[in-house]
Amino acid sequence: MNVRRRPPRRSAPEATPPKRPRAPRPSAGARLGRWRDHHLYGLLSSLGRLAVRPLATVLTVTVLGVALALPLLLQAALDNLRAFSGGLREAREITVFLDPDVGAAAAAEIAAGWRGRPDVAEVIVRTPEQGLAEFRQLSGFSEAIGVLDSNPLPSVLVVAPAGAAADGSDGALIAAIEADRRVDLVQHDAAWRRRLTAIMTLGERAAIALAALFGLATLLVVGNTVRLDVQSRAEEIAIMQLMGASDGFVRRPFLYAGLWYGLLGAVVAILIALAMHLALRDPLAQLIASYGGQLTVRGVAPTALLATLAGGAALGWLGAWIASTRQLRRTA
Amino acid sequence: MIRFEQVAKRYPGGHDALIDLSFTVAAGEMVFVTGHSGAGKSTLLKLLSLVERPTRGSVHVDDVDLARVRRRRVPQVRRGIGMVFQDHRLLMDRSVFDNVALPLVIAGAPRAEAAKRVRAALDKVGLLAREKAAPTLLSAGEQQRVGIARAIVGKPPLIIADEPTGNLDPQLSVGIMQLFAEFAQVGTACWSPATTCT
Repeated sequence: MNVRRRPPRRSAPEATPPKRPRAPRPSAGARLGRWRDHHLYGLLSSLGRLAVRPLATVLTVTVLGVALALPLLLQAALDNLRAFSGGLREAREITVFLDPDVGAAAAAEIAAGWRGRPDVAEVIVRTPEQGLAEFRQLSGFSEAIGVLDSNPLPSVLVVAPAGAAADGSDGALIAAIEADRRVDLVQHDAAWRRRLTAIMTLGERAAIALAALFGLATLLVVGNTVRLDVQSRAEEIAIMQLMGASDGFVRRPFLYAGLWYGLLGAVVAILIALAMHLALRDPLAQLIASYGGQLTVRGVAPTALLATLAGGAALGWLGAWIASTRQLRRTA
Repeated sequence: MIRFEQVAKRYPGGHDALIDLSFTVAAGEMVFVTGHSGAGKSTLLKLLSLVERPTRGSVHVDDVDLARVRRRRVPQVRRGIGMVFQDHRLLMDRSVFDNVALPLVIAGAPRAEAAKRVRAALDKVGLLAREKAAPTLLSAGEQQRVGIARAIVGKPPLIIADEPTGNLDPQLSVGIMQLFAEFAQVGTACWSPATTCT
């Protein structure tokens, strides 16, 4: 190997070329401008990368949208169920059906006896006649009821328990009522309420688990997409690194791309949720109406929409960060 | 400007690319390194641009001991070197202007100033009229000149050209070597390993 040199030409009188002064540390304003320019560069080039392959981008975003829509829809379903069950939760009253042969006077006597209990707030007596009138009003059977020659309904006592008892603590009162021989049937909402609470808890847990699972899926989809993107741009990255690009500079467009994937996926998820809401709203309202309910079907809560957007963006960014950092370590 | 002291480089596998190499290059000096294929020319370049580290000895550039440069500071060192590659290594999906502007974008130069310097560099290599063209539409000689414009746009104190005329006909080669001679006059060290150089 030979080294041939041409000495520096010296046109100026000084013996050596002047040594370059070190660049002074840039001012805060200049650094802010550089920071802004670098982020603008990352932002624009990431958008360019998504736009170059529209079909691949649409596919990726749709997959993310479906993944993010499922927990969102489950959350909306739970919201509706919670609102629907809210009315039931408050009902603590115990409905006691007396034996049909217990007369109105005896019923009043029993009610008076129970009113004396400390755990009873109120006992309302519904005579068979009242029951029949109510039945006639509520149901469409008024003509059929008119055919009956005697009133088949028993006296009913509606017992409101006293105190702010927690779930199931009305057990002692219910047991005492059930022990009474004149009582035919005790109907109380506590058991149903417990069951409903259990179902709601299960649903909420399932929603969290599903959200975690689909969040992971989002992370993996974005991560894999970005990993392939980094690989296909290995030459470009190598050139930039030789030009003195820092890891941050190289990584930034990929991070923005991940952010866009996550955000666009969240937007698609919200559109899916809105479409589902529109498609299901009327049939569901009819179903509720047929049960005599007056609830309106709720859409997805605005907070859930915001959380989906923020979560999608964060997951996209994180997935891109993990994938690009791993790939950069390999190339550096 | 550049100082190699007893540098040795052994690649994994036991191949010795450089053994006990010492020399210095002053600022404003233009140096040609020639040698047969496998003589270690490319290894020299890789040591200067910190792609590789020497097995023994030390490399100083501008009084900075490259052995002391940590991974995080490597980009900063590379920004002080303009590199010209035999195969240009242009970004084919960007315009000529964007290719030349890349070192300035990386260094974070203000945009208005960057545009001015990019046009000045393109003017110097005679390609000002092609700034909007895609590199694929240019001839090999023009692509090489875009690569040179990219190397000089940041006014680095050191330019390294790896066989910059390897793919060009003699007439173009002369033109490009004249360009390097001009840069050397303004105090830039040029470093040009090239088998075809005389």
